[in-house]
Amino acid sequence: MSGHESAPAPASDGVQWTTVGGVRVPVELLSPTLPDPYMDIEDYDPEGDLMVLNMGPQHPSTHGVLRVKLLLDGEICVKATPYLGYLHRGVEKLCEKLSYVQITPIVDKNDYVSPMMNELAINMAFEKLVGADVPRRSRYIRTICAEIQRVGSHLLWLGTFGLDMGGAIGGGGSIFMHTFRERELLLDLFEDLTGCRFHYNTHTVGGNRHDIPAGWAEKAIKVLKVVGDRLNEYEDFVRSNQIFRARTVGVGVIDPALAIDLGISGPVLRASGVDVDLRRDQPYAAYDEIDVNVAIDTGGDCFARYVVRVAEMRESIRIATELLGGVPEGPICSLKPVKLPGAVKAKHGQAIYSAIESPRGELGTFVVGNTERRQSAIPYRCKIRSPSMHVLQLLPYLCPGNNISDIIVALGSLDPIMGEVDR
Amino acid sequence: MSWLASFDNLGVNLRNLFRPKNTEALPWEAKRERSARYRASFALVHNEHGEEACIGCKMCEKICPSEIITVVPGGRQESEITGKKRGTCKDFILDLNACIVCELCVQVCPEDAILMLKVQEPPGYQREDLVLTMEKLYENEKLGAATWANGTKLIEMQAPPPPPPKKPKPAPEPAAETAPPAAETAPPAAETAPPAAETAPPAKDGAE
Amino acid sequence: MTFDNPWVHGLVMGLILGNVSLAITGYSIWFERKFAGRMQNRPGPSVVGPWGLFQPIADVLKLMQKEDIVPREADKTLYNLAPPLTVFCALSALAVVPVAPGWIIADLHIGILFALSMGSLAVFPVWMAGWASNNKYALLGGMRAAAQSISYEIPLLLSATVPIILADSFRITDIVTAQLGGNWFAFWPPGPGIAAFALFFLCSLAEANRIPFDIPEAESELVSGVSTEYTGMKFGLFQLAEYLHTFIISLVATTLFLGGWDGPGDNDGFIWMAIKSLTVFAGIFWIRWSYMRYRADQLMAICWKFFLPLGLALVMFSALWVHAS
Repeated sequence: MSGHESAPAPASDGVQWTTVGGVRVPVELLSPTLPDPYMDIEDYDPEGDLMVLNMGPQHPSTHGVLRVKLLLDGEICVKATPYLGYLHRGVEKLCEKLSYVQITPIVDKNDYVSPMMNELAINMAFEKLVGADVPRRSRYIRTICAEIQRVGSHLLWLGTFGLDMGGAIGGGGSIFMHTFRERELLLDLFEDLTGCRFHYNTHTVGGNRHDIPAGWAEKAIKVLKVVGDRLNEYEDFVRSNQIFRARTVGVGVIDPALAIDLGISGPVLRASGVDVDLRRDQPYAAYDEIDVNVAIDTGGDCFARYVVRVAEMRESIRIATELLGGVPEGPICSLKPVKLPGAVKAKHGQAIYSAIESPRGELGTFVVGNTERRQSAIPYRCKIRSPSMHVLQLLPYLCPGNNISDIIVALGSLDPIMGEVDR
Repeated sequence: MSWLASFDNLGVNLRNLFRPKNTEALPWEAKRERSARYRASFALVHNEHGEEACIGCKMCEKICPSEIITVVPGGRQESEITGKKRGTCKDFILDLNACIVCELCVQVCPEDAILMLKVQEPPGYQREDLVLTMEKLYENEKLGAATWANGTKLIEMQAPPPPPPKKPKPAPEPAAETAPPAAETAPPAAETAPPAAETAPPAKDGAE
Repeated sequence: MTFDNPWVHGLVMGLILGNVSLAITGYSIWFERKFAGRMQNRPGPSVVGPWGLFQPIADVLKLMQKEDIVPREADKTLYNLAPPLTVFCALSALAVVPVAPGWIIADLHIGILFALSMGSLAVFPVWMAGWASNNKYALLGGMRAAAQSISYEIPLLLSATVPIILADSFRITDIVTAQLGGNWFAFWPPGPGIAAFALFFLCSLAEANRIPFDIPEAESELVSGVSTEYTGMKFGLFQLAEYLHTFIISLVATTLFLGGWDGPGDNDGFIWMAIKSLTVFAGIFWIRWSYMRYRADQLMAICWKFFLPLGLALVMFSALWVHAS
């Protein structure tokens, strides 16, 4: 809608448009309850009481390069505007130039905390476009890896959440080190499987590129058991601590209706009481063969999001252990292995959307196959719907009325990853 | 939650005080073995005849998503060792600064010429130190630290198995109850077979 | 060791105790990093010298050779005055702390009041640094620090009043002498004694801006609080002042509540003072690496709504105890 220089909407449409901050929006969206996050120049008064503080792209706790311009009254925030794009790398533009088999290692780097989720999302979209089905063994491997990635991502979240609250030289530093110690075990598992600890390029159109080595399943079950036991230690550290409760209970409450309006999904939505989980509602990979118990909490505050994520960790450990017990034999890729960039060709002009449940929410890919016959090995457009971007829309609603400390804690509990926000 | 539970933090830290340490100081303490499939740097290898395996086909250059490989083919030449004509490679440049370690070049190589190594390339002071030239890549071969994966192995791992051969119709089982019907069906089958065999030669003569 | 001339005594003692404290503070950095490392399953500094023992020296040399950057719009006088003033306030409280019988720089008859007031003076340099840096993060840190420091002085003084009342003197040496023989004020009177010790301990943590009360230098929110714009040795002085203040409060807490140089049985001496105060010092680090920080308004709420009434109750109780016995 934005940047459209075409003729204004016809009056018979019934929609009245206006311009806010350079963006054309329907008037009905600007109800009095929705705040206008854009700070006009009139807001800035050097002689006045309000102070503009730039929580800039370089900051110890903005989870990447996020810039938030805060208008403060003392320590209470009056307005907040997020500025994105500091990590933009032109991934979607690259996808218009590379063939289907070359896109996976590029898209790997979007959500750099759980890379296999990106690979899974984009390869599922490509498979739907090409019309390839995935062998059962490959579906099991994909699901196991996705669940282990979810555990790893939530462990990292817990560590950085502690950092936001306790500082790198302080209690936060301790829990950060402890969760990363467990995450190292998971990364070692992936090193055995694919050869890389991070950014694996292991999913491909039609299946996987790496097969489970001998003894990996037993080792993975043992590692997951260790992580599950250590989770109890983290809960000791955090859950019953008065300081943690004082910092998170009642902080950053998100109304479920607002969350649904803004397109938020994942643990943030589930912590506000909305029962939506793509693994159970639209099963993909091997999720149709197991039961997924979805964790819900009705608090809507940062503590509820912590509870939901820890419950998700335990659930993922359970799912992965169950699947590791019975991985079926068979091929791991249904298409011939890649020998040429043009190995995978798609139908012309067809558009596909497919989504998975990443640790941050609904990670979707919208792919349009190329219409020119010569270039059918290269997609026409790959749009990646990143959950963190939608979650960051909450900032103008969450920040006003809160201290800076609360803003930091709330932002941390939303778990945005700037790599997938900016792509 | 009683306030006594807040002392759990101190307990967790105290417990961790007595656990063995989890880190090692590189490089003098590095004891951990990399896994078999760990991939870091690159090497070009010689094949079993002793000649340079690379034939200059440029498949790796085409597949690389970061476009870091530059291959200058040397044309088809007679090999000094085997005497057969094969492609050669005049120059091969791999810019490790931009490599995203995706292993696609290894997978597509038809001759298993390019391999990845388990050891990292030592850091350098200039960008040029990390641009691997052909001599550097062949020197890396001598390190003998190749990872598990090469082109053939990756293809074998991913290739779906060939479809099972078409089985002939199974002969009727000599079970007790089905024996008489099987015996009855067997003569008709035997009767149809000779007529089929008899009709075949006349058809063949007709075709000729 | 006592000299008759108080000036000579003060000078010699000051040199000895001052330098020893600074050396211990310098090596407390090494100890903290090692301790924190082991609690996090990692070695801590281990490269610079055997067991990383030269790490503090390396840190000081590194800080000394850094460029001294002063922001253009900064208030130069206040900016340059703040770091040494912080160290001065922290170090001057050392003047009245006895480490062994006779080993005290100046045995003032209002010793404890002097120590606490010099600690309270530390508000000013932090406030100055926050304002003079011309940086909004530093300003926020300075304002928070000022509010926190002046609020927490009240329960600190109230909890320090308990040993004053029980020992019937403001002179620190008298307070220690009253505890000799095993009746440390932390354990006798039982109950309120430990409450008074805990209150004093937590309030001094708040005065020294240590976790869980380190909002003024909250690293994850305010980059580095008041010391954001300082480079080189000025930054080093802020760090030194923080560790020094922590060391001094562990010394003061030991003398007030844990019996000072009182040892088991008859053997008193400096070694027991050292053991006890270094244990308290290590306990402060243990708490630092285990807990997260409170929010600024929660900090204030704790001070005014919980610590202050508790302090008043403890003072009343100790007065009644002395009256009854």
